[in-house]
Amino acid sequence: MKEWMRVLRNGLSLENPLTVLMIGLCSTLAVSTKLEGAFFMGIGVIFVLVMSNVLIAAVRKFTPDEVRIPIFIVIIASFVTIVDLVMKAYLPSVYSFLGVWIPLIVVNCIVLGRAEAFAYHNTVWLSVADGIGMGLGYTVIIAGLAAFRELFGSGQLQFLGATLVTMPAFYRPPNILLLFPGAFILFGLIIAGSQALNRRIAAKDAAQAASLKEAV
Amino acid sequence: MSGVAQLMLLFIGAALVNNILLTRFIALCSFFGISNDMHTSIGMSLAVIFVMMMASTATWMFYYFLLKPLGVGEFLYIPAFILVIAALVQFVEMYLRKYSPALYRAMGIYLPLITTNCAVLAAATEAVKPGFFKMGIAYNFTLGENLIYTLGVSCGYGFALLSFTAMRERLELAQVPEWLKGSPMAFITAGLLTLGYIGLGSLFGL
Repeated sequence: MKEWMRVLRNGLSLENPLTVLMIGLCSTLAVSTKLEGAFFMGIGVIFVLVMSNVLIAAVRKFTPDEVRIPIFIVIIASFVTIVDLVMKAYLPSVYSFLGVWIPLIVVNCIVLGRAEAFAYHNTVWLSVADGIGMGLGYTVIIAGLAAFRELFGSGQLQFLGATLVTMPAFYRPPNILLLFPGAFILFGLIIAGSQALNRRIAAKDAAQAASLKEAV
Repeated sequence: MSGVAQLMLLFIGAALVNNILLTRFIALCSFFGISNDMHTSIGMSLAVIFVMMMASTATWMFYYFLLKPLGVGEFLYIPAFILVIAALVQFVEMYLRKYSPALYRAMGIYLPLITTNCAVLAAATEAVKPGFFKMGIAYNFTLGENLIYTLGVSCGYGFALLSFTAMRERLELAQVPEWLKGSPMAFITAGLLTLGYIGLGSLFGL
């Protein structure tokens, strides 16, 4: 269970797919102009990650090494098709906003990357933790970025038709936040922040280890 | 839409105005992962052009000659397309390993990841589902248009990747604040690079 929590936490901080491993960036930058879209994108990715991790870990013993990638891909594509059709049926406005990004979850580097790097070598139980951790790490960053861009770029924050926050009237939203340069530059700053945070965690761990040694 | 002028427009629209990396954020993983070294970038660009041309031809035929007549295009296009692409990439990987070990080593982990290079699947999907394609063309591509479109997309990929690699190589020598060193600076540079592409948006009124 301790190991399980460690794997789960890994995805959120030290091995966050977006800020540390820097995979799965495409959808993050493209979709993060609206909180609603980014949130459901995150939910879709968590679903696909967990389900495909479980199935891939379950069949890893009978998967021939040479054809593993096509096998992973078919498993992932099936779950993505489920997300595609469900979202089309129940959330049509979100579906039309996300557009090509739903089928592109198949090729979201995070999903295949975790299948190859983690699920293929670990047990089903640990793969669930990895899927949830990585998926949450993705969702937190993408929803945070989207909330910031929508609030400061368009002046208000909406979720499923309801307006959550509106900026005061004198605030003139800078359009550049919603355009491509805003996405890149903001994300660069997020990475800088998370690197500083991880450096601090590493330094704290090192200091703890040193003091433990002294105590012994 | 027909005639050489229209095809040119399609090419330029796909390569520059809707540049797949910088204005649509597709395939960014390889963009940041591989842009440290010019030699690798050139290899990757050529590999992507090659794979994309083959893949989109194959998926177009697969969709119109098999999936659509059978009436399963709506449900099966994701697994079918990605399988065709994965098989092709595996083939390219085997070929490179045998005939060009240096290039194979240089691409390392990124070659299997061409399968997950969103650009390939995005171009294949857009050719048969033009609603996703944001140039305002609401009709299905013929095979010839599909080829020109894919060539445009992949050339745009190569162009953006090479120009960004050149910028990053220059950036190695620049003095950057300590807390921005490495990848944060790469993102900010990319952001500045995309500023230029906003201007292209009004080209041809596309």
